[in-house]
Amino acid sequence: MIAMAHAVISCLHANFAALEAVLADIDQQGIATITCLGDLVGYGPQPNEVVDLVRQRSIPTCQGCWDEDIIEGLNACECSYPSQLAERRGHLAHQWTAEQLGEENKAFLASLPMTLRRDRLLFVHGSPNSQHEYLLPDMDAFAALERVETAGAETLFCGHTHRPYVRELRDGSIRARVQDGAASGAPSVERQINLPMRRIINAGSVGEPRHGNTNATYVIHHEDTDAVEIREVPYDVERTCRAIVESGLPPIFAWRLRHGFEYAERADDASHVCER
Amino acid sequence: MARWALISGLRGDLEAYEAIQEDLRQTRRVDTLFVLGDVIGPERECNALLERLQQPRRGEMEPQCLYGWWEDQLLAERGYRGQRRADALRLSQGETAIDALLQAVDPAYMDWLAGLQLGFVELGCALLHGSSVAVDDSLGPNSSPLFLLDRLTRMDVNRLFTARSGRQFRLELSGGGIESQVRDLEGQRHHQQSVPPRQVIGIGAGIHYTLYDPGSDRLDFLIAGSKPQQRARGFA
Repeated sequence: MIAMAHAVISCLHANFAALEAVLADIDQQGIATITCLGDLVGYGPQPNEVVDLVRQRSIPTCQGCWDEDIIEGLNACECSYPSQLAERRGHLAHQWTAEQLGEENKAFLASLPMTLRRDRLLFVHGSPNSQHEYLLPDMDAFAALERVETAGAETLFCGHTHRPYVRELRDGSIRARVQDGAASGAPSVERQINLPMRRIINAGSVGEPRHGNTNATYVIHHEDTDAVEIREVPYDVERTCRAIVESGLPPIFAWRLRHGFEYAERADDASHVCER
Repeated sequence: MARWALISGLRGDLEAYEAIQEDLRQTRRVDTLFVLGDVIGPERECNALLERLQQPRRGEMEPQCLYGWWEDQLLAERGYRGQRRADALRLSQGETAIDALLQAVDPAYMDWLAGLQLGFVELGCALLHGSSVAVDDSLGPNSSPLFLLDRLTRMDVNRLFTARSGRQFRLELSGGGIESQVRDLEGQRHHQQSVPPRQVIGIGAGIHYTLYDPGSDRLDFLIAGSKPQQRARGFA
């Protein structure tokens, strides 16, 4: 057993075969601590099976944007969809999932917290601001650091982008010249702050990978060395694809599982924060 | 060349507004007057000021108004913000302040208040009461430059004019940088990013107001009604 390691999974998206494979991979390495960053449902054909398994395993989970929307109704603004077609497909998946999901499982999703915290590790779905905000790997570095700092964390675990990465922000400093209008005639004051090193770790996606191939992804954090491992896990993609088609969900959801990415589903403005 | 006057925090004080208008009429060659919110407050009856903002007198500058924290609280309490009520005010100052605010503004002005925007973006400048994060985002000269840079980045502007703190200040980001290292399934990438030369400006409140020339970047912090030699504290 790897006592000082914990696994972080995200964006399961009702893909039972992928979840089984990832949990088996985690178990095989003897890792007992797992944290889930939400989006248990949506797009995929087995929402109840996935939620049931997360509940059975008592995996600490924070709420994703799909989990929130299934409970609250479609309250995310349409800004996160890049096209009307994508929006229509998203609404179909939402309606189907809401009809399929049992009441107990809905209550479970409703009970999930927005964030989980363990010492200086913070776990969120999108960002500390919102389940809908994308922290992309090439996002403005100061803005990314601000998200971690404002949340009072050293390492931020997130998902939502479906692309796993580890980002270190270090050796940062900002110089500023300040003129205080209340101090009449006072000269400008120079200030400099040195910024702390912070990390953002994106766990990728178990159930709907968009990193370029079909493997499920998740991360392992070795707390003793602080090393982070991005794991890729093959699973029976065809099993999930068949279930998508048989359930009557839009076949494009099966198409993109077979390809591992779909640019058409990326938001036009990924930095946009849904304000509802 | 454009020259802006920026005011905020009048909180129903018609005399302060008239003093600023008089200042602008006499000495200032200003072509746009921006009012960055908090035109109402619980301390006094605000109807006369609201009327004046909507119906400027002959020769007076027509103000471009935004909503501030006090407007947001009133709009919430009167049901213009969905389920939300004036909880922030209730929590900080109690029911007495809620009642006073409701009394201070005639309901006939609610539609006008409800039509005010959160912010303006003009010539690479964002004008807001707080920031795009929240109307109550209180930015001051002692705020962390990291947070100020974030507020500028969110709006993708070079200058952010803010009023919530009530302070007059200019904070100019003058240097620095950060190193970013990303590792993903494709490999590892390094990127060095520099701090962009941007500014956050606090415009003051009440009779403390600010003039800004976007062409020259000149800024003047002023006090309405004071003599020119006392009030001119400009720097470019």
